[in-house]
Amino acid sequence: MGTATEERQERGAQLGRLERLPWRKIILIVLSILIVSIVAIGAFRTLTLPPDQRYAPAAWRDFIVLGVAQGAIYALVALGYTLVYGILRMINFAHGEVFMFGAFAAFFFSDAYERSGFLDANPWASIAIMLVVAMLTSMGVAVLLERVAYRPLRNAPRLVPLITAIGASLFLQNSARGFFGAQTRGFGVPTILDGTWTVLGLTVDRIQAVVLLTVVVAVILLSTFISKTTTGKSMRAVAADSEIASLMGIRVDRVIVTTFAIGGLLAGIAAVLFSMTFQAVDYTMGFRIGIAAFTAAVLGGIGSIWGAALGGISLGLLQSLGPALILTGYAIPSPFQLKDAFTFLVLVLVLIFRPGGLLGSGEAEKV
Amino acid sequence: MRGLPTASIVRAGLVGGVSALFVSLVGLYTRFADLELVGEQITLGRVLIPAPALVAAYVVTRPRFVGGERRPIVLGGGLAVGTFTGAVTGAVFALAVWFADWFGVDRIRQVFVQVTEPLIDFLTFDKGVPAGLAILVVLCLAGGAIGGFERTAPASIRTPAAVGVLTVLALGLLQRIVPIILIQLGIEADWLYTPSTRGLTWLGAAGIFVVAAAANVLWTRGGARAGQRVRTTIQEAPAAKLGLLVVTLSLLSVLPLLLGTVISEVLGQVMVFVLLGIGLNIVVGYAGLLDLGYVAFFAFGAYTTGLLTGALLNTTTGAAEPVLSADLNFYVAVWIVALMAAGLGLLIGAPILRLRGDYLAIVTLGLGEIVSIITASRWAQPLIGGPQGMRGVTNAEILGLNFQKDPQAFYYLALAFVLLALFVSWRLAASRVGRAWTAMREDEQVADAMGISTIKYKLLAFAMGGAIGALGGSLFAVNIGSLSPSSFGILISITALAVVVLGGLGSLPGVVVGALVLIGLPGLLREFEEYRLLIYGGALVAIMVLRPQGLIPNVRRSRELLEEEVEQDAWAKGVTGQAEAVVGVVPGGRLAGESENLE
Repeated sequence: MGTATEERQERGAQLGRLERLPWRKIILIVLSILIVSIVAIGAFRTLTLPPDQRYAPAAWRDFIVLGVAQGAIYALVALGYTLVYGILRMINFAHGEVFMFGAFAAFFFSDAYERSGFLDANPWASIAIMLVVAMLTSMGVAVLLERVAYRPLRNAPRLVPLITAIGASLFLQNSARGFFGAQTRGFGVPTILDGTWTVLGLTVDRIQAVVLLTVVVAVILLSTFISKTTTGKSMRAVAADSEIASLMGIRVDRVIVTTFAIGGLLAGIAAVLFSMTFQAVDYTMGFRIGIAAFTAAVLGGIGSIWGAALGGISLGLLQSLGPALILTGYAIPSPFQLKDAFTFLVLVLVLIFRPGGLLGSGEAEKV
Repeated sequence: MRGLPTASIVRAGLVGGVSALFVSLVGLYTRFADLELVGEQITLGRVLIPAPALVAAYVVTRPRFVGGERRPIVLGGGLAVGTFTGAVTGAVFALAVWFADWFGVDRIRQVFVQVTEPLIDFLTFDKGVPAGLAILVVLCLAGGAIGGFERTAPASIRTPAAVGVLTVLALGLLQRIVPIILIQLGIEADWLYTPSTRGLTWLGAAGIFVVAAAANVLWTRGGARAGQRVRTTIQEAPAAKLGLLVVTLSLLSVLPLLLGTVISEVLGQVMVFVLLGIGLNIVVGYAGLLDLGYVAFFAFGAYTTGLLTGALLNTTTGAAEPVLSADLNFYVAVWIVALMAAGLGLLIGAPILRLRGDYLAIVTLGLGEIVSIITASRWAQPLIGGPQGMRGVTNAEILGLNFQKDPQAFYYLALAFVLLALFVSWRLAASRVGRAWTAMREDEQVADAMGISTIKYKLLAFAMGGAIGALGGSLFAVNIGSLSPSSFGILISITALAVVVLGGLGSLPGVVVGALVLIGLPGLLREFEEYRLLIYGGALVAIMVLRPQGLIPNVRRSRELLEEEVEQDAWAKGVTGQAEAVVGVVPGGRLAGESENLE
């Protein structure tokens, strides 16, 4: 008698297991095997190309240095996303535009200084002034954005602030177009930053060295600020639980404004560094770098400062090495055209496989 | 004066002044300086001068809530507050113009490219700085007074006045359409619109004002009740309903003949976006999944239609066959395209189902961007032409109608597609599927617990939305005849989203209205083209902040969108206990008032 029921239970359990066959998991595993093999085969084929078609070792080193410098800029912008996300659980889609306004502000100073000769006479002073101006402008735009577009929607359903952020991004971008014109402007760089420096036997473009140094200093300052100061502590408190924080006497609104302001300051620094690296500004520059920086934030684990830094560098490296290393192997014409597609692919894959990011908790569901 | 809220007046006035400066710097005044609405004097640019003051005054004179009690401002107070606000706005504005003139236009122009001599001349009415600025300030004062008046005057005066003025301005703006319609109808239009400037004549404007205001008065006097009676009769009698449908359809079918080719062409573009809107509405409005990569389906539909109907690749030397193509009839191909797009929807939807909210939005944005980058890359050259694109998409000829050359014919093809999509979407929303989507959107966990397979319905939403979006792309390809990757950028996704959001999430009439406003108006008023995206962005923010349920809301959806706002207002004002008093603050408070439980 006992065996019959047990048997039935056994069969039921088997059926249950079959029904609960985790299709999603199987699809994901197949997908990941596919991706890994595509990457491995591509890289292998690139590296075993005949010597005359192969990239020289110097080219690889350049890719890496460029990737790290580019990634460092992503990291600064990514911090803006991460801070705001940590506190409001919202993607500030218009953060790229905050960056763009900073770049324009710096451009007008660099342009005037270049014409008056001040840029080459006092290169460090003019860079410092550009940094301050860009930081203040970006901060102003970020705070204004929070006040006008996001604050009225503090407790609205989640779709609402997101759509608002997209609208704000479009609005800011096209305001800049109206203000400053649609053409791309060349960004003047002091001649002292042309050429290279040799550090520990490694030849680095001077601009890239300045970029890296500035970013390292900024990230360390920020992390000290967040962990040591009272304001930083209240930011962490609001990020953990804004309701409890407000009961503890923390002014949530003020903390949120501060967060946007800090994000803006960092975006301003990034804007100057980016404009000096690529020597051009235009009104659409915010969108692409905004998405790349957001990807970096997600890649490192959104909400985490060191995650943003790590994510930025990783993404920069992926962007500069990926197309050359993987796509060249498949003989795809002009692989660097697909650089941005790489960014998005990384973003999609991270969100599918590890939504918590590299340093995140591996949280599976983002509700 | 005692009791004037000085602080808020000054603040509103300053915001008004800054807005006026924004409008000047962005170049809207110079752009619209010569767009004559009525006679030669009233141009759109000049109407925009007092507009910031008007809006600021209108906002600052809104009724206040003191202890849950609504306290409207009386007429005299409203006028005073409005004028005061207008004065602050005017002062800021005039000061800035004076500064620009003193500091030197050329120096400012190195940063703000729109600051030019013509702008200063325009803002000072060609009278030079001190004299012209007086006019500017007076206009702002008047704008402020009107704003205060419109808020505080008795409804029997202010509504007809506002309706009259707005009708005149609207008809003035539609100066390229209305005369054409009148001529097509065989009506003399010269008394209404001056042929030289194309704006309204003064006589015409006065006539329109009187007619519109009178119509409004009659409507409030009893027309509204009569209209309600007609509406209930129609709703209760199936025959009347059918009759209304027939009338609407016949009206829609004679429309292109009435409007001529130019407007029909614009209507064709509108229809393409109505299709996109209907599709995206299923995903965002019904299922509550924010898809920012909707352009993927649009591009997929367009290119697959090209490939299936034997389009050729553009190359530097001429044309080439794609590596993969078929030569099917359009009316066969289009169903295959829709089916494949539904499959693509499943394929995109499956791995990202577990993501919600903003993460889903970003992933779909990424997927959409991947599609447009690949479309434009040289890698895609052999299949879809890469940066050079394709040409020779079928013109879908049937019954001797050429849909590429003849915009009036294309209108009918597009209308057929739109009606089909509307019908499908309408029936889906009313079905079990639609209810499942509603449940899922309102609370996914609860829906899951109630036995709704959220995975299945999410995938269904992606597939349906994808198929309809691809139909839009298919239609677009037939209309244009050639495909270039620049037509398939993220702006398509954003525009489609703006169409859905403006009309109202989840509302089908809203989609039609949204597309008419966002695609139709800029299509007809070429002057707006440059500022189209600025206006889209501003509209998205404004709609979400002021009226998240959209212009023509879906009742249920608006309740969801407003409910939390009520809660928020109550929380912010610290009057959760008196939530009922707060309900009135919410735009469309009538709907919000129906929700019993605010917690």
